[in-house]
Amino acid sequence: MNNRLAELRSARDWTQQELADRVEVSRQTIISLEGGRYNPSILLAFRLARLFDARIEDVFLYVEGD
Amino acid sequence: MNDRRGWIATRVRLGWGSLAVGIAVIIAGVIAEMTITSSPYNLRIITGFGIMVTGVGVGVLVRYRAALRDELSARRLTAEERDERTMLIRMRAGNRAFWTSAALVYAGLMWSSSAANNGLPEPAGDALWYFLATATLVPFAVYIGSMLVDERAN
Repeated sequence: MNNRLAELRSARDWTQQELADRVEVSRQTIISLEGGRYNPSILLAFRLARLFDARIEDVFLYVEGD
Repeated sequence: MNDRRGWIATRVRLGWGSLAVGIAVIIAGVIAEMTITSSPYNLRIITGFGIMVTGVGVGVLVRYRAALRDELSARRLTAEERDERTMLIRMRAGNRAFWTSAALVYAGLMWSSSAANNGLPEPAGDALWYFLATATLVPFAVYIGSMLVDERAN
């Protein structure tokens, strides 16, 4: 699953650690999410989407076949 | 005290508890070594166990005590410990270690059953010790290896 986390985070000038602190996960999780290696739980996806004032489908882009 | 601080405070209490129990066991071990001279067993194992429990207590205190004083450290520590990705990796590693352990114990049981019916040599002495050591260490190695592999892959 692709996502726009890196783009949204950069637009707010946040570091990965700052984003991790805001959604209370480890920095490594943010790195994995941004790298597309890890798909978040629905709860974390909601927290991230709310943080960026966006809908889940605007942050996480489902690709058919994922 | 918020939930995060309460969670860390519980761990600090566990750390102090382990430290106290460890020291008590060390003292008991030393006293037992000095007073019980006729025991066929090596009582140093009690002291060794006490040292291990003390070490666990010290490790827990070092990790969590500083976080009690600093809100950001507390926040990061709890985020790390409760992190869903880390928990998923630990769960997978635990599952693999469990099945490895179950397979080894099953193999040992089958060997022992067969030996009882004169099919295979009786596991005894060093062979039994090596088997038990393997059945203890291999699942542990699988757990650590699985965590390392999943940390890279996820």
